[in-house]
Amino acid sequence: MKPNRIVTALQLAPASVYYSALFGAPLILLVVYSFYTTENFDFIPQFTLDNYVTAWTSDVYRTYFARTLRISAITALAIAVVGFFYSYVITYTLRAHRAVLYFLVLVSMFGGYLVRIYAWRSIFGAEGIANSALMSTGIISEPLDLLRNGEFAIVVAMINFYLPLGILPIYAAMQNVGPGQIEAAQDLGSSRLGAAGKVVLPLALRGVTVAFVFTFIATAAEWLTPQLLGGTEDQMIGNRIAYQFGAGFDWPLGSALAVTLVVVLALLLGAMFTLVRRWIR
Amino acid sequence: MRRLARWRRTPWASILYVALVLLFLFVPLAIVVLFSFHASPRMAFPFQGFSLRWYEEIFTDVEILRAMGRSAIAAVTTGLVTAILGTLAGLGIVGLNARAKGAVMFFAMIPMSFPALLYAIGLAVYYRELGVGFSLGATIAGQIIQSLPFVLLVISATLDRFRFSLIEAARDLGAGAFHAFRTITLPIILPAVLGSMLLAMALSADEFIVAFFTAGQDKTLPLMMYGRLNVKLDPSINAIGTVLLVATSALAFISARRTSKESL
Repeated sequence: MKPNRIVTALQLAPASVYYSALFGAPLILLVVYSFYTTENFDFIPQFTLDNYVTAWTSDVYRTYFARTLRISAITALAIAVVGFFYSYVITYTLRAHRAVLYFLVLVSMFGGYLVRIYAWRSIFGAEGIANSALMSTGIISEPLDLLRNGEFAIVVAMINFYLPLGILPIYAAMQNVGPGQIEAAQDLGSSRLGAAGKVVLPLALRGVTVAFVFTFIATAAEWLTPQLLGGTEDQMIGNRIAYQFGAGFDWPLGSALAVTLVVVLALLLGAMFTLVRRWIR
Repeated sequence: MRRLARWRRTPWASILYVALVLLFLFVPLAIVVLFSFHASPRMAFPFQGFSLRWYEEIFTDVEILRAMGRSAIAAVTTGLVTAILGTLAGLGIVGLNARAKGAVMFFAMIPMSFPALLYAIGLAVYYRELGVGFSLGATIAGQIIQSLPFVLLVISATLDRFRFSLIEAARDLGAGAFHAFRTITLPIILPAVLGSMLLAMALSADEFIVAFFTAGQDKTLPLMMYGRLNVKLDPSINAIGTVLLVATSALAFISARRTSKESL
């Protein structure tokens, strides 16, 4: 049966119109806004590059960008590693139960964004659940610094929320590598870990890269986690952007920071993809 | 001896690893649920007895009930609109050649990986320029964009496995196009449509960021919870969180079972 072109076009039209009107247009306008001028608590269409000059040259924002990229890189890397081994173990070692073990991760991906951050906020902190539990059982007598709010808490909470997002592409990629290939590697003298590294990793590298990229992008624009789990010294660029759209009330500057973040991410991840592709070859 | 051999063959390290990861994924949620039943307002161990007082508090609070209503409206609307747009688009994509299909799917998936914060502020700017203001409707319009990729993904995965020869056969036997759709295509894709609709509802009910920047005074349940977070130590947050969690995980659970039955 040959699909009717007109029918196909009509079927695609509603979603396309909706995407353009409510996704394309807002993002274009965000870019436009980044060139606006803020005057007397109003944003006027007077073309200026000042917002970008501020975003790119101010030491304050550079610090925020650097901290954001560091925290995101640590988080995304941890997710890629933990997610790789989780996918590996459920795909090959516990193969009989992989459906259930994957399903549990899938379910935990949806739901609980704010609830999780709130939970970590209660777990961390000098009087949080972690410290109070350890102290009431007598393992420690003073609250541990590591279990207070701060960068460590932010990273843990973000790994917790975004780990399923990382496991998804890695698991999917591994389904193309049969257990036979690993057995072959082991028969040829590879250790179990060696088989994971030498056989599965290259074949699943696409999935691992996608997991890293997805979680890196998502965490680089995080703002709620650092706001609720970090001090003033742990805030990320997302917090500055959100601030300009809130109390700061400088939407054009906030837009310029947002556009800058997208450009930085695109450049970094583009470079990474090129490197990975070269490595696979 | 044989028992010993089996014990040795059991991959204990792998089991331990998987258990730890799952524990890590679910412990924060378990803590919120546990403390929502805590008799004392203090959120720390040792645990001091069970009570339903926080649930009584939130289910008699008009503000919270209103927020629950708004969240329910948002979830149902997002689910319905997304399912309709997604199903139509999914059927349309099938009619494209491989190259066009790849391109359309690539663009359709962008909102999934685009940071929610940046999209939310884009929407805020957009609504400001349009002069429509912030409202629940404004938030729903954005949440639809965020869940469309998921719905499209589920539906086109089902349609990829769909055997179009069935329709051809029906048409050869004299069925009209609409009749063939209603009696063959629809029953086959319906589980996926319903499943993805539930998923969209879960995403909407849990959604915070777009709502934060575009809901204005129409506070949804997550926004209500956030508002209480910053005020003081308020143990009713645990109960709100649990309600939210039960709603979204139930939806996600049913959805995942419906849509992944074949792939499991």
